[in-house]
Amino acid sequence: MRTVLAFAAALYVSLFITALFTDADISDLGPVARTYAQNGINDVGSANLVTAVIVTYRGLDTLGEVTVLFTASTAIILLLSLHAIARRASPASDIVSLTARVLPAPILLFGLYIIAHGHLSPGGGFPGGAVIASAALLVLLGCAGGVAFAHWLPLAESFAGLSFALLGFWGLLRMTQYLNNSVIPLGVPGNLISAGIIPLISTAIGVKVASELSAILAAFRAKGWEE
Amino acid sequence: MTISRIVLIAAMTLIGIGLVGILTRRHLIRIALAFTLASTGLNILLVWTGYLEGRNAPIINAELDGLAVDQIVDPLPQALVLTAIVIGVAVSALFIVVGVLTSRVLGTADVRELRKLKW
Repeated sequence: MRTVLAFAAALYVSLFITALFTDADISDLGPVARTYAQNGINDVGSANLVTAVIVTYRGLDTLGEVTVLFTASTAIILLLSLHAIARRASPASDIVSLTARVLPAPILLFGLYIIAHGHLSPGGGFPGGAVIASAALLVLLGCAGGVAFAHWLPLAESFAGLSFALLGFWGLLRMTQYLNNSVIPLGVPGNLISAGIIPLISTAIGVKVASELSAILAAFRAKGWEE
Repeated sequence: MTISRIVLIAAMTLIGIGLVGILTRRHLIRIALAFTLASTGLNILLVWTGYLEGRNAPIINAELDGLAVDQIVDPLPQALVLTAIVIGVAVSALFIVVGVLTSRVLGTADVRELRKLKW
């Protein structure tokens, strides 16, 4: 067993050193990335090519990845509803409870900004949703009874997931591909209202990620903390 | 020492620490932490594969002069990692929940004593 491990470690280190001292002469994009870079702005109309890849070119993969996230959060909530792991909680300190009253609104606004500008600047549904979930964490930590919003999370989550899947069918109705974003006019790349239905799909992804991550955080909370 | 080398060293070191931790630690929570380290390193390595020296972020705007193809880095690994990070959070949370529940229900989180893991 030790011999195998030592051999694997030696292999890993030699791979590392080879990669470190090889001057890979890559000075150009690969064929796939080249296609995205050349046609992305005309096909998709999104200034941010990463969002174009996530939402349109690889939109079906993203639908699958959102499903992975959904499965993981469902498993966590199921396990924690069988056995609550938090036993007791002390009340939040003054600093935390004051912060939890002031900061969630700006954090929420920043998350919405990231989601809305996903096709223009680095951002989109996934990071924006994670930012909004951090506001939910602050509310859970600092506000007594803050867990009340968790009742609305399954509704928001299902609505967002359903609208993501249904928005994809819009392309099929127009006799193009599933999740094609150019079913409405693309607009001028770089404007806030542009890139077809990418902002709508980004919003759906953002709401879904935010509600799933917040539901995970709410599930970690002790039952009966409010009393 | 270019940026590319520094990022590669960071990524391979994190993956190495994570793999060693997964193989040698015996407590489930520590294995979960090592798994998180390894996945962070893997994300950095994936972004590194798309990096090209001296190029811009894959955002097409007025600041690029000339063809975008010669100006930007590869957007594909970045798109992959953006989703992988968020999914990684959920998977790590699931890992930790399983670890904590194992220690609460079975009384131990030591993988040597968990006979049900073996067949």
